[in-house]
Amino acid sequence: MIDIKKTYKNYVDGKYVRSESGKTYTKELKNEFYELPLTSKKDIRDAVTSSKDGFMKWSSTTPYLRMQILYRLSEMIEGNKESYVELLMDHGLTKQKAIKDIDESIQNIVWFAGLADKWEQMAGNLNPVSEEYFNISHQNPIGVVFSLSGSNISLNDLLMSILPSITVGCSVISYSEENSVLALKFAEDINNSDFPSGSLNILSGKFENVLDDVSKHVEINLVALHKELDNDGLKAIEQNASESVKRVISQPSLEGLSSILPYLETKTVWHPKGT
Amino acid sequence: MIDWQYSESIESSDILSIKKKYSNYIGGKFVEPKSKKYINSISPSTEEVLSKVPLSNKQDINSAVNSAREGLEVWSKLTPNQRSRYLFKIARLIQERSREFAVLESLDGGKPIRESRDFDLPQVAANFFYFAGWADKLDLSWATKSLKPYGVVGQIIPWNFPLLMLAWKIAPALATGNTVVLKPAETTPLTALLFAEICEQAGLPSGVVNIVTGDGSTGSLIVNHKDINKIAFTGSTQVGKLIQKSLAGRDVGLTLELGGKAANIVYEDAAIDQAVEGVVNGIFFNQGHVCCAGSRLLLQESIHDQFVKKLEKRMQSLRVGNPLDKNTDIGAINSKEQLDKITSLVNEGVEDGGELFQTQCELPGNGFWFRPTLFTNVQPSYSIAREEIFGPVLTTLTFRTPEEAVEIANNTEYGLSAGVWTEKGSKILWTADRLEAGVVWANTFNKFDPSSPFGGYKESGFGREGGRHGLLSYLKASS
Repeated sequence: MIDIKKTYKNYVDGKYVRSESGKTYTKELKNEFYELPLTSKKDIRDAVTSSKDGFMKWSSTTPYLRMQILYRLSEMIEGNKESYVELLMDHGLTKQKAIKDIDESIQNIVWFAGLADKWEQMAGNLNPVSEEYFNISHQNPIGVVFSLSGSNISLNDLLMSILPSITVGCSVISYSEENSVLALKFAEDINNSDFPSGSLNILSGKFENVLDDVSKHVEINLVALHKELDNDGLKAIEQNASESVKRVISQPSLEGLSSILPYLETKTVWHPKGT
Repeated sequence: MIDWQYSESIESSDILSIKKKYSNYIGGKFVEPKSKKYINSISPSTEEVLSKVPLSNKQDINSAVNSAREGLEVWSKLTPNQRSRYLFKIARLIQERSREFAVLESLDGGKPIRESRDFDLPQVAANFFYFAGWADKLDLSWATKSLKPYGVVGQIIPWNFPLLMLAWKIAPALATGNTVVLKPAETTPLTALLFAEICEQAGLPSGVVNIVTGDGSTGSLIVNHKDINKIAFTGSTQVGKLIQKSLAGRDVGLTLELGGKAANIVYEDAAIDQAVEGVVNGIFFNQGHVCCAGSRLLLQESIHDQFVKKLEKRMQSLRVGNPLDKNTDIGAINSKEQLDKITSLVNEGVEDGGELFQTQCELPGNGFWFRPTLFTNVQPSYSIAREEIFGPVLTTLTFRTPEEAVEIANNTEYGLSAGVWTEKGSKILWTADRLEAGVVWANTFNKFDPSSPFGGYKESGFGREGGRHGLLSYLKASS
């Protein structure tokens, strides 16, 4: 019988939960074994229910508060830097690479924290219509985002699959396969932070098990794939998504303002001017 | 009592010379279809055959896409300023020939000349002018370095605003450095083919704009062509979903501007007479063939009876008839097929238990017509309250509180537009924030401007057309 160093659970609705299937898989790191939940269809449904509620809570907080919650997260990662570096080294990264990854992670959280109360000024504007109307385009976050993280062992990559959407007020279901130990460790920091429950749910498992459930779920508004899938996988997702005109983005740009654009719905409001 | 004598005022169609047969516009030339097949384009107000246009097949689409690929070579090597000037020139030429276009639009599509002359054509020119000015300022448009044109764009447009939809598609696509293959709708191809003459007149390099006509099968050939980089589609949600499905797993960009079932919310503290005008304009503009039409009237309970009475009176004054008569408010239904669809949904509404009001007016003998229609006593579950009718049919629902109004408004898979009527500013902003709709008209309805982004939430599609945001539909963010 193998000795399990640590058993991780999914992080859903602000709580650590076992997969309702009871199924797990193990990951070996430096001759030690970690047990991880194998997310089922029912777990996805529960996560979506929580994310819908989380979206209401998170999107209605002020940008000022979202900024501070994100900034606080960077402080927490900074405080736990050593344990992250150690875990990355257990995954086989050199100490130098592990430190660099955590430093970049912190930099990016700080960058997005500062964007939380500015993106509306950059992505929206008044429109100079040719009649006597006040006309403004501003944005709403798109809603519940399912984000499949990449396969690189990197906290920074994981964060870059979450930060652009969560910064603008979306709730996120972050799903990891190769990165699960890191993602579920990160869930511990989220649990200690001020993110409202359901705003960020973190799941692990084999994506192919839930691919259909995710892409067919009408209450997931956008699927973001940060991992290169084979063409059959991508095709199946996009075909399922078409049934409800769901947005699917694959390997989206992570550069500057373009990183957040897919997660925004532009709303334009008109009103006449007059006395 | 004054006995008003009606005198018609018909816009002359002498300015036009409609050819008996048209060709596709490919590679800067008018070429006969390799399919050797044609379809008739009729006038829906008389059922008279106006002309015939190619029913393009695979070979025709291949040659259009190849030509757009060659056009891209030239177009991408021009300076942004040169591209800008071509678009300015096109805008100017449209202004100069706008009467010709307006008459043809009304003949081919059935819309009142008052609308094609005073709305469609000025907006068409304005769109080319607006995007002309962006062509050499793309680097300033969005604070990002990674945006590039897609390349060859396939564009498929509907029959409700034929030339305006062409302008919404072609102007931003060219301004961002793409080249296009555009297919106008099967029932309204003529103004697009006249636009091809404008491209010639402007000296636009060959292959930059290609126009091919046909039916749904032709559209499908464009979508499935292997050398297309992006598809932009405006039309029904049903077809939009099929296109999204066809593109699954392919590296092809997509924007969709699909159907709607907009709520037009009238609060009890609205300026009632203005709201009545706005509600009428919201649903009866362009025979209700408008994806963003305010087809669900949401009335606060306390004003229901008073409002419906005024609305019925106002509706009775709408003049239905010859699209070329300058007095006409409501023209012809675009096709027999659409008329059948409207008729069948309205019959279903009556069977479900909706209370029907239709204006009393004489309808011409030939052509496709439908009386302005209002349903009251409707349950939210009725088809007339859920499905897009795309005709002059308004469905009334009631609510008690603002929260309930928002809930009913959002209780649809669509999310294109919405209207709010109240004299209270804070209530407008509160409501607008909560409506899941890409365009919210407050104390107005159906206003458009090239600088104002248009497009939907949810199953009304994705991407925006118009404004700075409209540029993003034709620029690809590279990772």
